Amino acid sequence: MEAVVVDAGSKLLKAGFASPDQDPALIMPTKMKRVVEDGDGGDASMIEEVTVDPMVRGFIRDWDAMEDLLRHVLYTDLGWEVGDEGQILFAEPLFTPKAIREQLVQLMFETFNVSGFYASEQAVLSLYAVGRISGCTVDIGHGKIDIAPVCEGAVQHIASKRFQIGGIDLTNLLAQELRKSNPLMNIDISEVEKLKEQYARCAEDQAAFEETQRTWPKETHTLPDGQTITIGREGYIVGEALFQPSILGLEEYGIVEQLVRSISSVSSENLRQLLENTMLCGGTASMSGFEERFQKEANLCSSSIRPSLIKPPEYMPENLSKNSAWMGGAILAKVVFPQNQHVTKGDYDETGPAIVHKKCF
Amino acid sequence: MSWQTYVDDHLMCEIDDQHLTAAAILGHDGSVWAQSASFPQFKPEEITAIMTDFDEPGSLAPTGLYLGGTKYMVIQGEPGAVIRGKKGTGGVTIKKTNLALIIGIYDEPMTGGQCNMVVERLGDYLYDQGF
Repeated sequence: MEAVVVDAGSKLLKAGFASPDQDPALIMPTKMKRVVEDGDGGDASMIEEVTVDPMVRGFIRDWDAMEDLLRHVLYTDLGWEVGDEGQILFAEPLFTPKAIREQLVQLMFETFNVSGFYASEQAVLSLYAVGRISGCTVDIGHGKIDIAPVCEGAVQHIASKRFQIGGIDLTNLLAQELRKSNPLMNIDISEVEKLKEQYARCAEDQAAFEETQRTWPKETHTLPDGQTITIGREGYIVGEALFQPSILGLEEYGIVEQLVRSISSVSSENLRQLLENTMLCGGTASMSGFEERFQKEANLCSSSIRPSLIKPPEYMPENLSKNSAWMGGAILAKVVFPQNQHVTKGDYDETGPAIVHKKCF
Repeated sequence: MSWQTYVDDHLMCEIDDQHLTAAAILGHDGSVWAQSASFPQFKPEEITAIMTDFDEPGSLAPTGLYLGGTKYMVIQGEPGAVIRGKKGTGGVTIKKTNLALIIGIYDEPMTGGQCNMVVERLGDYLYDQGF
């Protein structure tokens, strides 16, 4: 049986059997609803629904919810049977605390009784998906942005950077801007999320952005409940926020500058290789105009070597940047599990959860 | 149990028909407690650099880890306890205990995970014994 690859993100959970040249079988939102039912009687008004987010900023926070979610994914959706569990590979974000890793291993072996486990960082997996082992990944996800230089399959933690901003902050920004320009409208946050995916874009460069601020092209959009709102400059502001974090209220450099800075803390012999193999991944990076803007800003940056972006191979499916960590995981699963480099049940029983630090790195 | 027995029987043992290419147990000052036959000749500065990295994790990463003149690229270890280095298909794992440094050098087909298991298991055992 194939190994299962799970990439649990703050917004979407990607899971499926390891088949590297296909999309993950299951892409579902990580949001869960806790349905609290009153003990006596099925009175509908008594049922409370609370939205629960098991993953916050990339890390697992609510273990019970995560367990339920995984149980559903593994047994119901992917078709595992109790007693015949297979092997599982997890994609972890950067800087995962050791305690969280150990807890995950424990959950897997003790509650789910998997036969083998492996965990790898999303940055490395994204590079495997494009067929490289060295390079720099810029992973712009829902809950966080990770910039990680990877040399020959090993993440250089010293040089990696993580920002606690992500798609979710861009959504809030868009909601704020929309409220300013359409003060009478009451827009639900999930609607704003969809609007962001539809309308957010990046101006070609800073000058063009200033232009749009003054004379913005207006588009009217009809919300499902019938209200119409106009969107124009707000979409551009959202895109610009990644290059000028001051819009979000953060005192940081733009994303390209951050990339160059983090790479320069790596030893110089790998510098060229890293910069010329930069990869953008993550849902937010698929904003229209983002890649071009990134490339343009990269050409303007002061260092002697210009960052240039990798093109995904042709045999890979279209949405590579959104699911690259999952696909890299599928590729890795094909290598790691047959060669027994993973953590087996026997290893876990002998050494305990701390074995994950020794065997998976 | 002499230190040499630790190196020959425990560090250079066979796992899945493979074993480390070289191993040694050194003191914090670089003195050799025991080493395997093929362990490279190292310099005192290299040991000092390793000890500095245990005290200040991250100091070796920009320059690289040198052992016996060979340069290893520093990959993720455990700050203050384990330094791991990689060179092509092989690498090195260095585990620090109270009084000693346990070093294991591996090459393909052995993997880093297996080298870690051997070196770190012995390290944990010695730590419990007070060394």
